[in-house]
Amino acid sequence: MQINDLRDLIGRQLLAADLTPELLERPEVQSRPAIKKTTSGWVCNRCGQQLTSQTRLPHQQMYCQHCIQLGRVSTLTKLYTIAENHTFRQSQTPILTWQGRLSPNQLAASNRVAANFQQTVPHLLWAVTGAGKTEMLFAGLAEAIQAGKRIGIASPRIDVILELAPRIQAAFAHSELTVLYGKSPEPYHYCQLTLCTTHQLLRFYRAFDVLVIDEVDSFPFAGNVGLHFAAEHALNASGALLYLTATPDTTLLRLAKQNRLRVTYLPLRYHGFLLPEIHRHLAFNWRKRLARGRLPQLVQRKIQQNVKHHQRFLLFLPRVTDLDPVESALNQLNLAGRFATVHAAHPNRADIVMRMRTEQLDFLVTTTILERGVTFPGIDVMVLGADDPVFSVAALVQIAGRVGRKPSRPGGQVDFFCHGMAQNVLGARRMIQQLNRRGQRMGGKAWVNA
Amino acid sequence: MGQCLICQNWVSEQPSLAQLLMMASIHAPVLCRSCQQRFIRIEGPTCPICGRQQTKTTVCHDCLRWQKEGSLPLVNQALYQYNGAMKQFMHQYKFLGDYRLRQAFSAEIQARIKQRAGAMIVPIPVTPKTERTRGFNQVLGLLGNLTTTAALETRHVDKAIPQSSKNRQQRLLTEQPFQLTAGADKLIRGNRIVVVDDVYTTGRTLHHAAHLLKQAGALTVTSMTLAR
Ligand SMILES: [Zn+2]
Ligand SMILES: [Zn+2]
Ligand SMILES: [Zn+2]
Repeated sequence: MQINDLRDLIGRQLLAADLTPELLERPEVQSRPAIKKTTSGWVCNRCGQQLTSQTRLPHQQMYCQHCIQLGRVSTLTKLYTIAENHTFRQSQTPILTWQGRLSPNQLAASNRVAANFQQTVPHLLWAVTGAGKTEMLFAGLAEAIQAGKRIGIASPRIDVILELAPRIQAAFAHSELTVLYGKSPEPYHYCQLTLCTTHQLLRFYRAFDVLVIDEVDSFPFAGNVGLHFAAEHALNASGALLYLTATPDTTLLRLAKQNRLRVTYLPLRYHGFLLPEIHRHLAFNWRKRLARGRLPQLVQRKIQQNVKHHQRFLLFLPRVTDLDPVESALNQLNLAGRFATVHAAHPNRADIVMRMRTEQLDFLVTTTILERGVTFPGIDVMVLGADDPVFSVAALVQIAGRVGRKPSRPGGQVDFFCHGMAQNVLGARRMIQQLNRRGQRMGGKAWVNA
Repeated sequence: MGQCLICQNWVSEQPSLAQLLMMASIHAPVLCRSCQQRFIRIEGPTCPICGRQQTKTTVCHDCLRWQKEGSLPLVNQALYQYNGAMKQFMHQYKFLGDYRLRQAFSAEIQARIKQRAGAMIVPIPVTPKTERTRGFNQVLGLLGNLTTTAALETRHVDKAIPQSSKNRQQRLLTEQPFQLTAGADKLIRGNRIVVVDDVYTTGRTLHHAAHLLKQAGALTVTSMTLAR
């Protein structure tokens, strides 16, 4: 849909096709070339990437293939913008309407977040799953809102944005907020707080004074040159960038080592209990067994026990093609529990997740889509085929981190079933053990099931 | 060997025999196997007029309608079914303007046209405005280095309603969208002509083109499209 309101172009960079012809004619609208020529060749001004000879059009025009999904930029097009002028409606007081309290550890991290919002050196908040990292942003965000700054919160994952939006809105009830992603039902509007996917950052230009990127190590942001460029350019020159994750990748850790990234580290969960450790079990040739319509004995027993004791859980599988055979094997068990299978492209994905959240389901059989951001209090997790290469160390740590998120049950059972020994499973176990050793030094306790 | 033009995955597998035969150069980027499998070649029984995939070789209902309207039969050859994968492909190639994608099928379509030795190739034109904003004519992109004759040009400066949002009735009612380019009639007269377009949807575009070319004295007019 084309935008027509001048204000919706503030701090953004859009193509002529994104604007109504009337808006395009307004004198306030500035433009710059979408592609520039450098000594090393043609470079896209939107995603910062080099153009290749493959994208030469007839008549010697060039276009960028890298960011083409957001509309093609070429030597025929321009990027249209109105410089950020902070003319959004100021938030009413009280700014922060969140009533919760932080633990002493959270408070220390929260203070560092707020201090770093005044700095231009990027900052990483590395907080374990369940540390309460969103709440640790609130004090800093409140200061920034008070100071009239423009704030962006982005994530590579739409799920994370959708989960975050109502919590941010509730914490800042008198602030205006807009949510932007590929197929967002609500139109974008210019205001102080923007939540969006990292892809949408390609459409902002020197807009934000504070930009937070949540789950920074996940796909497609991690390792994507174009999206990193977009994040840097969505930020204004004196802006502050904050990365959030429980599982930083090697790139982030290297930047930290080189002092190009400040790190605040919180290895303890908000309730003070340690991360549940991973229990590893052998499930030799489980796919062959599954092909004959049966689950591994141990998996079957665990599922039956859980259902019997009304212990809700998630069962993770490596591949979408594993879902159907597992479902039919489960159906043969005649379980009393209700369950569903779900994967990234499942047509009823949102509905199924909602049914699990509202406890209309006892367990969910899923691929890696739910490994982050989504919280079901009090659950256990199982991973069948945890040694499959689709599970990175980070994904396995995130999966284990779904457990123990309820204050009244701050721990739980994490069972990984593997065909063989695998580096990813060992790596995940090692990372959790390391985090727990540090957590112990901060006074963390292990949870014991009563 | 290169990255798949559609999914960007690296194509490491050996090229198939068909690929080897079709490809202009072994270094040209290709489609990975899983993307290739989503496109369905038209094989076996087809409508004898428009070339659509069918279970029988009788004239399809669309073509019967053309016959009723008194239009001359235009024999079309189409290479692929216009399925979901092809629609998505056309979206990225034409509407997003990803010119690289022409290479996915251009060798194949060129090979088929070369089988019609001696025929004059007339591409369906795009409007000057499309040419300006898209930066290319998608039909010419498919035709690569083949010698073509620009016998047709669009008649209207701009279309009020885009093709895709009109219903069949509206499309059929729309008047002749083309005219001959200056001096084209001399080139056309007495020649066998093959008109090329990307997709055969209603056949309206090609029927209008064929009508004009026949009027100008073409000996025969047939057509070829990437999809039907
Ligand atoms: Zn680009
Ligand atoms: Zn592919
Ligand atoms: Zn037909």
